[in-house]
Formats: sequence, C-alpha cells, structure tokens
Amino acid sequence: MEKPKILIVDDDPDLRRALKIRLRANHYDTVQASDGYSAISVAQKESPNLIILDLGLPAGDGYVVLERLQNSDSLSSIPVIVLTARDPQSNEQKTLQAGATAFFQKPADNNELLDVIRATLPNAWPGTAMPS
Amino acid sequence: MNNGHTHVLLIEDNPGDADLVRLRLVEGDSAVNVNCVNRLSDGLASMAKEPPSVVLLDLNLPDSHGADTFRRVLDRAPGVPVVILSGQDDEALAMKALHQGVQDYLVKGDITSNQLERVMRYAIERQALIRTLEMSRKQQLEFKNQFLSHVSHELRTPLTCIHQFVTILLDGLAGEVNPEQRYHLDTVLTSVHQLRAMIRDLLEATRAESGKIRIEPRCITIGDLVQQAISMMSQTAKEKRVGLEVGLDARIQLVYADPDRILQVLINLIDNGIKFTPPDGSIMVKACIVEADPNMVYLSVADTGRGIGPEAKALIFERLYQDPNSIDNSRSGLGLGLFIAKELVELHGGRIWVASEVGNGSTFSFTLPIYSLAKLLSPVIVYEGHLRDAIVLVKVELTPLPSASRGVWKEVCQRSLERLRRCVYLDKDVVLPITGNAGVGETFLVAASTDMERAEIMMKRIREQLEAGAGFKSTGSLKVSASAVQLPSAQDGTPMKDLVQAVAERITEMGTLALASKPVPENANGHASAGEYQAGNEIKSN
Repeated sequence: MEKPKILIVDDDPDLRRALKIRLRANHYDTVQASDGYSAISVAQKESPNLIILDLGLPAGDGYVVLERLQNSDSLSSIPVIVLTARDPQSNEQKTLQAGATAFFQKPADNNELLDVIRATLPNAWPGTAMPS
Repeated sequence: MNNGHTHVLLIEDNPGDADLVRLRLVEGDSAVNVNCVNRLSDGLASMAKEPPSVVLLDLNLPDSHGADTFRRVLDRAPGVPVVILSGQDDEALAMKALHQGVQDYLVKGDITSNQLERVMRYAIERQALIRTLEMSRKQQLEFKNQFLSHVSHELRTPLTCIHQFVTILLDGLAGEVNPEQRYHLDTVLTSVHQLRAMIRDLLEATRAESGKIRIEPRCITIGDLVQQAISMMSQTAKEKRVGLEVGLDARIQLVYADPDRILQVLINLIDNGIKFTPPDGSIMVKACIVEADPNMVYLSVADTGRGIGPEAKALIFERLYQDPNSIDNSRSGLGLGLFIAKELVELHGGRIWVASEVGNGSTFSFTLPIYSLAKLLSPVIVYEGHLRDAIVLVKVELTPLPSASRGVWKEVCQRSLERLRRCVYLDKDVVLPITGNAGVGETFLVAASTDMERAEIMMKRIREQLEAGAGFKSTGSLKVSASAVQLPSAQDGTPMKDLVQAVAERITEMGTLALASKPVPENANGHASAGEYQAGNEIKSN
C-alpha cells in the first residue's frame, strides 16, 4: 500500500534531512522544498497528503505559502502543520487563522509532532495509523 | 508654540490677580498670547482644543480646590508644563505639587516680569527634556525587546538541528548505539533541554518587562496542580535523593488562576529547592488557608537546603540574580526563574516572598485569589442598585471527535472561547471561568442578563460565530443551550450582597449540574439539536 506523503518546507537543509530520517522511520514518504515559491510548485506536482511548513522562508514566507494554499482549489484541503522557531504568542493564532492545522515551536518534541501528524492525516492508511 | 509665540493658558478666577499676571506677561515678552479663563472646566476644555505652551494655574477655583486642581490638569495633559500661582499661605501645597509633576510655582503678590518669563521658559524646556528622555527610554526598551526576541529566534534554529540529530542517534535511526554512547548522547540531550529552557526564560522575562505576558485564568483545584507539579519533578528529586512531600489543606476551595502558569511557578520553585538542597534533604509543598486573609490561598515550597543570607534575600526576585556562593552553579540557568515567577504571581493578583535563615533552609511562599462567583457576577446581575429582571445561563458544549488530536482540539476550544467572549455584552453578560484543567470535552457557561426570548438571539449569534471560525469542521461538535436562572424575590431589607450570593449559588448549582451531565454523543438521529432549551425551566440533572 502506498505510504502517505509529507512535504517538508524549510530553508535549513540539515533540518530537512533530519525530518526526512524521522518521518521515513515512521513509514512516511517525504518530498522537500526550501523556499516559499518552490513549496507551491512541489505541492502541485507531488500532491502531498500533509505539509510541514516553516515560517521564515525566502521567496515568500510561511504566511504567503498558507495564503496561496488556501486560495488554490487543488491544494486547500491539504493539512498544514507549522513548525517554526518564531514565537507562538504572536504567531500561533495567526497561522491557525490562516488555515494551518497545528503549530509547533522549534525544537518540537518528536512524539508530539508525530501524534499530530497521525491525527491529522485522513484515515486512508489504516496500516500506518499506528507506526511501529 | 507655532510662529514663535508662547501660548499661555492662565486659569485664574480672581480678576485682579489675572490682570496683574497678564500685565507682567506683556511687560516681559512681546511674543506671548494669553488665554485667560476663570473656571477649571473651561481651562480643561481649552487644553483639549489646543494644547498651550504652558499653563499658569491658580489652585482655588470656583469648580476645583487644592491638590485636586493640579492633578486634574496633569491628568488631562501630561505633556504640558504647569506652573502654579500659589498664595502666600499655601506654599506647602505648591511644594507637594512639584513632587507630582508640576514644573514650578510662583507666589502671587511678588511676581516680577523677569521672574515670570524665566520660570515659564525653564518650565517649557524642562518639560521638553522629560519628553525626550521618556521617548528615548521607550525606544531603548523596544530595541532591547526586539533584539532579545531576534536572538532567541536565531538560537533556536541550530538548537533544533542538534536536538533532531541527537534524538535520531538515541532512537537508533542511524544504527545501534552502545551504552557508553547512549550515556554521552543523553548528556547532550540534557544540555539541549537546558538551553531551550534558557531561551524560553529570556523571552518570558522580556515579555514580563514590557507587560506582554498573557494569563488565562480558570477555576482550578489547586491540589491537582500541586500533585501534577510533584509528579513532574519526582524523577529529578529522586536522582538527587531529595524527598518530595505534599501537605494540602482540605478546606481549600477553587482558585482562580491560569493552570499552566501556576504549574510553571510551582515547578520553578520545586526545581530551585531541589537544586539547593543536599542529598537526603527534603522539600515540602503546601497549600493552605490563612484565617487572616480568607480571600487567598497560600502556597509554599520549603526546602532543607543551606538557606539564603539577608543580602541575597533582598535581591533574589530580581532579574538575572544568581547566588554567587552557589555550590551548584553548573549551568543552572540565567537567573530569570524567580523574576518570572514573581511577575506571574503578581499578574494573578497575588504576592510572592521568601523566608530563610542561613543553614536552616528556605521557604518560598505565594498567594493566589480564591475564586468567588459572587464577586465576578455582581457587576452583571446588579444594575443601578437592583437585581436585573431576568438572568439566563447559556451553556456552550464542545465535544471532540475521537479522531481529533489533543493539540488541535485544545486550539479549537481556545478559539471558541475567544469568539464566545466577543459574542457577549461586556456590561451585561459574563463568560464564567472554565472549571478544571483543559480536558476532553469543554463546557463554557455564560451568565447573561437577558430573558429567554433574547437569549435565543444570543444563542444563534454564538452558534454562527463559533461555527464560522473555531474550526469544528473535522474536529468535533458544538451544542448551545440556555435556561433561566430563578431569581430570589427581592424583599425589602434583604441586603444586595445576600441576593447576589443567592444568585451565585443558584448559578453554581446549575453550572455544576451542567458540567456533571456528560455531553450526549451523536446518535443515529444526527446531532443533538443545537440550541434546544426549555423556556423558563431549569436544567434537570440526568
């Protein structure tokens, strides 16, 4: 059965690599984008099941990406988890209002992040509901 | 001040004095405009229309006397320099005025034009200096806040990377780890957590200083919170062989506080206690009521450590204070923990202090307000000295779907509460504090001074607002209902306090029943009809 695909959007290549290792170990496929512009094009090409989005990005920050996703018929239904170093007090509400499903401040607890990913993904992958 | 003229507002009711001052003004400086009024209210109105360069103020006017006069002028236009025209016999009052922000005073009767001119010019200059200083202080504070928030953001990025790869190694995702390697990696991870806590404290302290910390008080059982803090710290205590004990006063009722923030304070105090207590010592966490202060709960964390000297005691709640004689000064923190704790406690309306003697341990104590529904309700249910005609208790129940994640659901509840607060009239309705810790299903109660007919409109508004923006789509369901609160018949002579108490008790009873009856899960007939209520009836417990 096909694995759920997660798009990781972050300008830090090391962090993308780390998330990729973590997510693959939990039976998710990953694709990546390093800026706001390519985030949209990769999302269109790859149709991910979920997006993990940084806020501080070159070529259109996380808020621009959220807005573009919301305004796109094909992409607006993809759940977005924001993972950012920015302050939750001034960004959490704002990102959720802009359409994000959840907000995590870096460094986030791996188990909490995975819990939310599991809960957020549509239950189309019964085999992956509880990764080993 | 425009076109080089000095605009003088002269507030003086004695025509003779006014004329004399006016004469002296004209004698001295030709570029002076004088506007003379004889009542304070006229003076304040003129200041509101166009701020003068300087105010010359007599303190005894037909509509205001003494200290009140200059206080009202300073309140209205804090940036305008004020010079008092005092009588021979009230120089003492004029001196007092100087301490409260008045620039200078002149004694009527022996004012020369030179003196008047100089006093006014200096007053204007000094006021301008104060303004500049104040502005530069604000800019500096703002700059410091921006700098700190920028730095802590930049520090988080590499820290995240370290955290990620250490946990990847520890979880064996990059191959097997032998016990010695695991031991070293655990040390790295502990340091990562320390660094993360320091960055968090740095931001918190900055926020505290600029008044940007938010608290979300609810009614909480303080005992549960103490237990939670104890269980979170028990591992740390065990590792250092320090005992952790609890003493809870059974009489404690609900407390009105933000559970996350108070947990933060308790953990900070317990953590400090463990840090400064040698192995085989112990820590006692207590919550109790003090007869002399029945509106507060007293919480304390006592350790058997080496105690604090008087100099340290005076400074311990200051920002960046670190004990120079600490035996355990290994990367313990930034010295912000107690400063933040103090800010948090004070935001709740409590106070925090320490009692200690060198060699005899320390006891940190703080107070929190006891929750009183009557106090909270009184402005809403009493109007112009009478009970309102009708009061309705509106119940908003949020029930999560089993698939909803805890984090997302917490957000939905939070957003719902914020939207709910915007649905009510501030002066007529009150959203009651939520009882207990954020749990699975959330029930919000609104005491509204309205009748059932208008409650229906209110419920419609609440439903629309919450459904529109709180994010229920895939996370849970919403039910809104209402019931009338039976009001005590206001017999003559019953003190208002007792009536309010009776209503508060009634609402508590209704609210408790509402909270006790579990939200009905969706059944085969679809949603439990949102907005159902029985007009005029009371909620019946199941």
